[in-house]
Amino acid sequence: MYLTKKHIPRRTFLRGAGVTLALPLLDAMIPAGTLLAQTAANPPSRFVGIFFPHGMAPGYWIPKTEGTGWEFPLIYKPLEPYREHVTVLSGLHARCAEAAPGETAADHWVASAFMSANKPRRTAGADLFNGTTIDQLIAKKIGQETLLPSMQLAVEDPGAASSNCGEGYSCAYSNSISWSTPTTPLPMELNPQVVFERMFGDGSSAQQRAARRARDRSILDSVTGSLARLRTDISASDRRRLDQFAQDVREIERRLQIAMKASQEAPTASTVPVGVPDSFDQHIKLHFDLLALAFRGDLTRVGTLLGARDLTNRFFPESGLTMSFHAGSHHGEDTTRLMAYAKMNQYHIKMLAHFVDQLAHTPDGDGTLLDHSLILYGTNMGNSNQHLHYDVPHVLVGKASGQLKGGRHLAYPSKTVPTGNLLLSVLDKFGVNQDSVGDSTGRLENL
Amino acid sequence: MYKKIIVAGGLAVASVALVSGQAAGPQRPAARSAPPASTSAPRTSTSAPQGQASEAPATPAPDVAAQRALLDRYCVTCHNEKLKTANLMLDKLDLARLGDQAQVGEKVVRKLRAGMMPPSGMPRPDQATREGLIGWLERELDRHATTHLPPPGLHRLNRAEYANAIRDLLALEVDATKFLPSDDSSYGFDNMAGTLGMSPALLEAYLSAAGKISRLAIGSVTAPTMTQYTVPPGFSQNYHIEGLPFGTRGGILIEHEFPADAEYVFKITPVSEGNMGQSNKAFGQIKGEKLQVTIDGELVKLFDWDREMGQGEGVRFGVPTPRIPVKAGLHKVGVTFLATNYEPDSSLNQPFERATIETGGIPGFVFFPHIGLVRVEGPYDAMGADVTPSRRKIFVCRPSSAKNEEGCARTILSTLASQAFRRPASAQDVGTLMEFYREGRNEGTFDSGIEAALQRLLADPEFVYRRETEPANVPPGKSYRVSDLALASRLSFFLWSSLPDRELLTLAGQGQLKDPAVLERQVKRMLADSRSEALVSNFTGQWLNVRGLQVADPVMLLYPDFDDNLRDAFRREMELFFDSIVHEDRSILDLLSADYTFVDERLAKHYGIPNVYGSRFRRVTLGPDLDMRRGLLGKGALLTITSLPARTSPVARGKWVMQTFLGVSPPDPPPNVPDLKPKKGDANAKEPTMRERMEQHRANPYCASCHKIFEPFGIALENYDGIGKWRIKDEGVPIDSSGVLVDGTAVDGVASLRETLVRYSPQFVRVVTEKLLTYALGRGVEYADMPLVRSIARDAAGSNYRFSSLVLGIVRSAPFQMNIKQPNTEQQAAR
Repeated sequence: MYLTKKHIPRRTFLRGAGVTLALPLLDAMIPAGTLLAQTAANPPSRFVGIFFPHGMAPGYWIPKTEGTGWEFPLIYKPLEPYREHVTVLSGLHARCAEAAPGETAADHWVASAFMSANKPRRTAGADLFNGTTIDQLIAKKIGQETLLPSMQLAVEDPGAASSNCGEGYSCAYSNSISWSTPTTPLPMELNPQVVFERMFGDGSSAQQRAARRARDRSILDSVTGSLARLRTDISASDRRRLDQFAQDVREIERRLQIAMKASQEAPTASTVPVGVPDSFDQHIKLHFDLLALAFRGDLTRVGTLLGARDLTNRFFPESGLTMSFHAGSHHGEDTTRLMAYAKMNQYHIKMLAHFVDQLAHTPDGDGTLLDHSLILYGTNMGNSNQHLHYDVPHVLVGKASGQLKGGRHLAYPSKTVPTGNLLLSVLDKFGVNQDSVGDSTGRLENL
Repeated sequence: MYKKIIVAGGLAVASVALVSGQAAGPQRPAARSAPPASTSAPRTSTSAPQGQASEAPATPAPDVAAQRALLDRYCVTCHNEKLKTANLMLDKLDLARLGDQAQVGEKVVRKLRAGMMPPSGMPRPDQATREGLIGWLERELDRHATTHLPPPGLHRLNRAEYANAIRDLLALEVDATKFLPSDDSSYGFDNMAGTLGMSPALLEAYLSAAGKISRLAIGSVTAPTMTQYTVPPGFSQNYHIEGLPFGTRGGILIEHEFPADAEYVFKITPVSEGNMGQSNKAFGQIKGEKLQVTIDGELVKLFDWDREMGQGEGVRFGVPTPRIPVKAGLHKVGVTFLATNYEPDSSLNQPFERATIETGGIPGFVFFPHIGLVRVEGPYDAMGADVTPSRRKIFVCRPSSAKNEEGCARTILSTLASQAFRRPASAQDVGTLMEFYREGRNEGTFDSGIEAALQRLLADPEFVYRRETEPANVPPGKSYRVSDLALASRLSFFLWSSLPDRELLTLAGQGQLKDPAVLERQVKRMLADSRSEALVSNFTGQWLNVRGLQVADPVMLLYPDFDDNLRDAFRREMELFFDSIVHEDRSILDLLSADYTFVDERLAKHYGIPNVYGSRFRRVTLGPDLDMRRGLLGKGALLTITSLPARTSPVARGKWVMQTFLGVSPPDPPPNVPDLKPKKGDANAKEPTMRERMEQHRANPYCASCHKIFEPFGIALENYDGIGKWRIKDEGVPIDSSGVLVDGTAVDGVASLRETLVRYSPQFVRVVTEKLLTYALGRGVEYADMPLVRSIARDAAGSNYRFSSLVLGIVRSAPFQMNIKQPNTEQQAAR
């Protein structure tokens, strides 16, 4: 058979702006006031957490030597230009992703544990428990002055497979990697257009956007006014849920306040991204572009991105592999298939590099955005073929405002250092000092 | 029709439950509880609506000792305190006090009903003895059942409900996926109140949707935007597409909501040639094609493909039509080729069904051109909107002068609020909305005033949440009947996934809805209404995971006949099949064995059904030669989603059969199971058959202990390949689909499996009831609900399990009509 992939060009992003990709035009949209208002002396740090399921091909991601000066392994190769910003971690143990004692094969439903290092409670009901994720702990510390305390992005719609979560685990655990409380998953946004409007408002001119924000505010005022009446004759538990709603209203009011202050310098161009691109490549890049843009304008300082859902059958044709992600991850220890899987992992890292490249080229205070960022990129399996959760790949990119020395490979003894230790140390870098997080047994040495 | 036996005083007696088909026909309940009287005040749990056994039985239960002896003889060998098999210690179970251990009792009943226990190889009691034991256990459990009425809680409208509510409130079709993120699901459904939480991002989404939808409904959208429609990549465009004009080939039919009377541009991008790269040449070598753009069937533009679309920049960025004036509202846009008599020579020897666009250019073959994307851009030079369904629905009056603007606005807003809040609008509601009306009116026109108020209305928590009031005069821990208005909402969200309509609200407002006769009439009316399609798509989409079809991804090289046309046809067949059960009010047992299905040409070809031509779906009767397509077991959709991308999975199918038809799940797999070795690339290499692979499980006693339970169910379906196509050979070896089920029944292929499942149909009825109840209540159904599930199933037996009888059973049940009053924690805290 002669099978090739068809190609449909998808210029989904910009209308009336020629062929160029998103960034140049978005660039022009940054509210001047917000960007330049950043004092050069003390730029804030930014945090990004990125999760891909299904591990990485063993043998293709660990540098041959520890310390510095190693050769980039195949999967991480796209990050080589940013060597001085890259910290490769090996040997970590994702205990939180392992099946709990007495449970079996329950490890495909726990993406949510990636940044909580806590084994989620097995339930298909409403009594979810995952632990608060570190992005949210960090957002509470550094995200409160920005328009959006944090941004959650996804590249795959759970809608189609939402009843497919299994082994007694709620879909919430595989749908969201960001939990604002131990029991509250935050929705991950699929649609770049929605992300854009959240950043810049809804409307075709600065004036219109400002007017709409004013209307939104008066609506929220009015809703708050009627909440007291709605609380009177309902059950106690419903009252608690309504109070949550009221709290969310206050949060949105806070954001609108910030946004309205900035609305004088609101973007003037009339272009918004249109819908969800159907190519993974364009979709994830667009999300990264928006996140980079949000960092530039200091609209947010924390972002998370769910690169794929567990068990996904998604193909990544650009990676050259004609197998789906999940099928590919069961490489059967076969040399050819391992190599093919490594290429797919490398392709994902290439997407990361697209983001890193933008941060590296954006001046920020005394350096670049990359200097002031910490990107945690990782997964929760080691050898996915056997569903092993030790020797799990993690890589940190960025210097976290001088708190992280790049260019290093830190190898930890296998099966002894839980991923909680990494999370605890990352929290340290953002001044969130805790004694423990999830399954941590201490801090990560030498980080 | 089954006559109801009304017994005064709400006395309920649970009688012998359904017995499996081999025994004499199911026995009638000796009596059943009275339906709630129309005038009743909130009742307490002792006089609950139907299905709640609450009093002592009229006949004494048979001897406890005899049942004890049965358990000791057949169960306790494994399930004892020492071995703790499955953590079930039946030696410790006090049968005289079974009601106190209902959770254990229900577990035992479920396993026995499903024929799972005792496992094959162990001594089994004869059929009559087994039925006797099950019946006794069920009677005891039913006799001691307590009313289980946890309120589902504040229910946020999920994405599907929100879109339907907007449709019914404003006569506006919106794609909710553009506004709201998808909802988490639990207990297998995404309409569970407890799981539908709120967050700032979600609230922001509802707020933003309120603005956009109010502008769209009023027709005040002025800024052009672009909407993109993609033809699925694996979609063949070689044939006519249902809904497009006859005499056309391929293309796409779009239902687009035009926001204003204005001009719009339709930009069409062809599928381009070449492998991944950017190309300036369109796919397809056949010359002389003409592409037409139609709006509601009217031709608005004809393209000469070769000259205008086939090459150049347009292949990459789309070729626009001139600006075309369109009236606001929902219109059907067709973009399709004029059919010619030309048959590409490749179609003569085309070996596979899969669309040509996946295969690029093949030397020596020619293909038709294909459309890849259609973008709708606009509105340009918007003139507002004149007459649209939305405006007709909203503007129930027009002010004749400035003087009566306020009065008219009040009328409009009070009408909208009453429907949106599912209760008569209060003066306070209208007052709040009028503030926004005035604000909008001051800035613009009468219409902009209504738009501002509409935006406020859509952002109201009483629209976004389904709020049920709790009566003050009922003490905590006591049950009470929900208001008629709340009942109207429960009904409409169950059967329509949407707001109650005027008729329901009127009846509820008059306090008539709780009247059993009125309620029954309404349920039948609602099921007959086209809005109940929501029940078909949302319930089956999730219960049978038909939604999962969207992500099923059979490997192209192994299943070159699978394309998006087939995927769509599979889904459509399932919808039409389930729809026939609902709208023809058939027995749900027809789901197991109905001798008809629905096919178009594409699907008929896949199933080997002759003489079906064209893209229209039609009902076909399945004769003896098409026996394998009867019931759910023969449906391509389900056989595909229970397969892996590259092969069938007797394991997954076995598990699916057990869960779907018998309501039991096999034990979880142990960790670290190596995958089956994949097929070798070499086509000549001898591969083991799926059956041979499965035999490996039996060679290993550790594997066999579980696999022998579920695998034979899947092996019986081995005649269907990974995309549900019938086959008689696997790897060149004739398929052996024989096996012995866990209850000792020998099966050989789908027909005998189906017969066995029919024999277990009482259990199937309960599984469906359980799922439907979960969906209806918006909360998990637990062991304490099982007496109710049995009672609904029993009551439905009289009408041979017509779909409406299950729905009525649920609607009449206590949990559907009643809540239990919660302790007021705040008051306690204040003390």
